[in-house]
Amino acid sequence: MMRLIGGNGWTIGLAVLLALLLVATKAIQPDFGPSGLDNLARSALPFALATVGMAIVVIAGGIDLSVAAMMAVASVTAAVLMDGASDGQAVFAVLAVLLLGLGMGALNGALIVVTRVPDIVVTLAMLFVWQGVALLILNAPGGGAAPWLRALAVGGVTLPGVPPAFTEWLPRGVVFLAVVVAAVWLPIRRSKLGLRFYAIGSDPQAAFRSGVSVGPTRIAAYAVCGLFAALGGLSVTMATGIGEPIPGPYLLASVAAVVLGGVVLGGGRGGILGPILAVFVLRTVRMDLTLLSVDPNVAAIVEGTIMVAVVMFGAVLATRGRRG
Amino acid sequence: MKRLLLGTAMAMGLAGMASAEAHGGYKIGISNTVQGNGWREQMVCAMKAEALASGKVESLNIAHRNTDAAGQLEDIRNLIQAGVNAIVVNPSNSEGINSAIKEATDAGIVVVAVDQAVTEPSAYILSNNQEEYAYLGAKWLFETMGGKGAVVYMRGAAGAGADNDRDVGFKRAMAEFPEITVAQEVFTGWQQDQGKQQINDIIAAGVPFQGVWTSGIDNVIVDAFVESGAPLVPIVGADNAGFVGQLSSVAGLQGAAVTNPGSVGGAGVALAIQILDGQMPAEKTVLVDPAIWDNVSDEGKAKLAAAANPNLSPEWPVSVSIEGWTTYTMDQIIACKGPGE
Repeated sequence: MMRLIGGNGWTIGLAVLLALLLVATKAIQPDFGPSGLDNLARSALPFALATVGMAIVVIAGGIDLSVAAMMAVASVTAAVLMDGASDGQAVFAVLAVLLLGLGMGALNGALIVVTRVPDIVVTLAMLFVWQGVALLILNAPGGGAAPWLRALAVGGVTLPGVPPAFTEWLPRGVVFLAVVVAAVWLPIRRSKLGLRFYAIGSDPQAAFRSGVSVGPTRIAAYAVCGLFAALGGLSVTMATGIGEPIPGPYLLASVAAVVLGGVVLGGGRGGILGPILAVFVLRTVRMDLTLLSVDPNVAAIVEGTIMVAVVMFGAVLATRGRRG
Repeated sequence: MKRLLLGTAMAMGLAGMASAEAHGGYKIGISNTVQGNGWREQMVCAMKAEALASGKVESLNIAHRNTDAAGQLEDIRNLIQAGVNAIVVNPSNSEGINSAIKEATDAGIVVVAVDQAVTEPSAYILSNNQEEYAYLGAKWLFETMGGKGAVVYMRGAAGAGADNDRDVGFKRAMAEFPEITVAQEVFTGWQQDQGKQQINDIIAAGVPFQGVWTSGIDNVIVDAFVESGAPLVPIVGADNAGFVGQLSSVAGLQGAAVTNPGSVGGAGVALAIQILDGQMPAEKTVLVDPAIWDNVSDEGKAKLAAAANPNLSPEWPVSVSIEGWTTYTMDQIIACKGPGE
């Protein structure tokens, strides 16, 4: 039990922080209830998916600066394919977008492996490429989204036979996120591929000497990141009902959540749950600042300060723990 | 530290609630997704000034940051959670935020979209007439060019609703002048540096043109002509303080400023208050028509002289109020303070 807490201390700390923030939200706004949690989950969804993708490449020792631009490509592609499509056709549109995401990510990874240009340079270049591609697909916000897809992450959970008062507190957005992340990441995490991600992130040379083929593993990590970026783009289209070619503020937010979530930027250490909790912490802070009607120009400073404070606080705790 | 954080948050929350109980009046939420742009800053200041001048607004909740439609959905839903009576929103696009607007109006909140329209029918729209904006300026430009020649068409941001509407107006004017052609069409993204680079490239490339139409990135275009020594051609811009100043100070410049008041934000707040007071407007959509001030006719010169105000930031539109809508004074909008600030 103690070992479990020790190993997951950071994640548990974030969960406690999130719980405290939600209590604070309730204190600020006594009417805060299921609809508030639903709002929080819906607004966190694109950020959370982008963050999971980013966390995976960071764990594998890389970084992907094109994540928001890939989301834009996925969002406009989904919106164009689903515009006027039947429910059945929309299923294929979703699958096509997910494949496109895998492809975009794999291309990013392949370029890094083949050209040996640093990942930060390649993905910065690809950021502009994917931005251009998104504008080529749709030069102005437009397109459509299937109603069933839009309804997937809206409202609270309802279970047959259980009174809604018990289940309405759990937003569908959270369930959607949990299902998607579990379906993609858990099988990878438990397979050799997941171990290899951590291995190449921790020490590529040692991984190579232990028989890990570093190049293909790196490409796989970027491909998974592309897949999550596509899911993030889909979630934007689900929220807005349209595709937007201009990327949203997801790149820096995802890097911030990855760091706040306890993933080491050098690679090899950290998990997925921490960054997801970090996304919710950051969204709750944003919500509280709006509820308190804090001057919007000050709000950004407060958000940044909280991030630095939490990371520094964690670092202090970690050093103390090592000494003791 | 967490306890401290929670304590502070709770204290702030309690303070907020105490002030809410102290006065009556409306609570109005504002959502805007472009920060650091002169026009939008004027819009927000007009909203604050109108809320203060009306005397009926107890507090403003302002969500003002750079984000996309998904982020604006979040902001609007947060404003719903904050329990505001009305939301005045400059939509990031016409369709993307409809779901949150519907949730707000279903909850009994009055929603007014300013500057750009939304397609959600439950929202009220108070907007500058962007099609007319482009038409007025283009028509003046084509007439000044003698009805023939090539024009550089410097648009706004690709995909923005206002840019699409302006394009319709520009094309309408083009249709009336068959001998006018477009020499170059570029998107400035409403960015000063980008627009200046583009006009420098066009001048350097030696493309012949006899006029420039801009979507509000105007003073840097005049600067580029002056700096490069290229012969001046007629230029159309918006009523930004910098360009309005150039129209009277740059020798040999023929130009016209079309009004596009950022104070439409203040008018949106005024409309929201009217609706909350129970006075419904006759139409759900109210368009504010622009005016054109040229530096050739005596009438235009008089209007330009009257509008110039050295106290205004050069990036702000000089038309700081909208007759029949806004009630604040010039000092109030420049002070940029809302109720309780």
